[in-house]
Amino acid sequence: MNLNRSLPCTPMESGANKIVSAQPSLCLCNVSLQLDGHAILGEISLHMPQTGITALIGPSGAGKSTLLRCINRLHDGWQGSIELGGQSVRETDVDSLRRQIGLIAQKPAVFPCSIRDNVIFGLPNQQRKSVSDESIRQVLEQAALWREVETRLNDDADTLSVGQQQRLCLARALMLEPSFLLLDEPTSALDPRSRDMIEHSLQSIASQIPLLWVTHDLEQAKRISERVIFICDGRLIEQADASDFFSRPERMESREFLRWNVCDCD
Amino acid sequence: MKAVIVLFALPALILPVACLGYILWQGLPALNWQVFSGQGMSGFAQEHGLYGQVAGSLLLMLGATVIAAPVALALALFTRLYLKQRLQTYVTTLLHLLQGIPPIVYGLCGLILFVHLLHWGISLLAGQVILAVIILPVLVLNSLHALERIPGEQTEAACSLGLNNGQLIRRVWLPAAWPAMLTGLLLGMARALSETAPILFTATVFSGVVWPDSLFSPVTSLQTHIFYLAQEGANSQVVGVAWGAAVILIALILLFSAGALWLRRVQYRHRRMSG
Repeated sequence: MNLNRSLPCTPMESGANKIVSAQPSLCLCNVSLQLDGHAILGEISLHMPQTGITALIGPSGAGKSTLLRCINRLHDGWQGSIELGGQSVRETDVDSLRRQIGLIAQKPAVFPCSIRDNVIFGLPNQQRKSVSDESIRQVLEQAALWREVETRLNDDADTLSVGQQQRLCLARALMLEPSFLLLDEPTSALDPRSRDMIEHSLQSIASQIPLLWVTHDLEQAKRISERVIFICDGRLIEQADASDFFSRPERMESREFLRWNVCDCD
Repeated sequence: MKAVIVLFALPALILPVACLGYILWQGLPALNWQVFSGQGMSGFAQEHGLYGQVAGSLLLMLGATVIAAPVALALALFTRLYLKQRLQTYVTTLLHLLQGIPPIVYGLCGLILFVHLLHWGISLLAGQVILAVIILPVLVLNSLHALERIPGEQTEAACSLGLNNGQLIRRVWLPAAWPAMLTGLLLGMARALSETAPILFTATVFSGVVWPDSLFSPVTSLQTHIFYLAQEGANSQVVGVAWGAAVILIALILLFSAGALWLRRVQYRHRRMSG
């Protein structure tokens, strides 16, 4: 049963959708994806508000990471419609779209150059030459990395720890002033201290731009998110406010998932 | 068990070393300035010394490299950027098959196509193009392997930052892959230096040329010179020069192979340092 079929494409019309947002920044309507003849995503419709953290949860292989990569068109073979700020992402130049939608992956990927050059890596040539030290400091502060690297901006980025590299990736994405951030399990490979630092940074960033955060850690989803989207087998099962989802999930699949994945998530 | 392995493994070590030792033993005494410059020498194309042959071999190799390198790089980048995984596998398989074709078959194709049909004649250009075709699969496969070794996360991160394909190649792929690509290029150059049959059909003559007048002039080369001189088995002085030419040829090939090995070590060290 695909419950998502019944979901209309505007949030206010949806009875199942508990998110109340005047103007969704991101709107997916009947997004489907097939790879090598296999259905990876099936008619997913969802809406994201203009700020805050939305957790995208679901079992392994549910299509969470694939969905993120459809939004910034790293996967481009999907059907349906994805709109950012009211404009179809298909009609936006793909490179400028990706500058608008930052993606932080599970494994930090720093480039073999200095910390400073990594921060400005995504900027166009001219801007890279003229970027001010103050802008670099600001994004590194936003990513909670400034104090650790302020005296060694010219060191190789490889010399940073994994947690620091992940925060560097966050600073690099923020340098482009994105209007939306996609996060694909950004803390799953980190120690608790680094995880807390990233969570703290992202929570303050979420007051300005919306974050769609894929996580396997339901405790984390409960801790950080205001909304939850639950998908399973490529289908959207439920989207709701986090408190409602974790205390009173509507769908049977959601209840099953919570029962088997969290025992102490009351 | 160990003894059996050693028994089978030893010939693999001993035979090449013995061959190399024998060539050096025969060739080094024959090498002197007279043989190289041709002063006081006559007969069997020795009047100009081995200088012309060395120049011819290097011209053929360099020309082949200049033609093949950009084509190989473009094909490797096209394959990685635009072809689906299945098509990439087909391309790789095809390149492995092309690598297995005997060089003399390439030489025959070059003779028919470039020398006769295109009327280039026996020429430097025909030899360079056919050598380029021969080393092309080596270069493409090496470039593909170099690109495959770049972590997928880096490519995805670059694309996520809005880099277009040109920027991705220039700022991420080439800086990461160039040492391995250069290693492949040096190995390809060594291969071009070692090929004899294709240029025998398409590019070289025994004598009469020291430095080609144009791309459409024939050349002499060390490889084919050794072939011609070795047929004069009864003349020990001539065969001695052939051994000397062989030493020079091996030295040149070893130079490029050693360069490739050095680059590989630099690359390995860099990879270890970066993590």
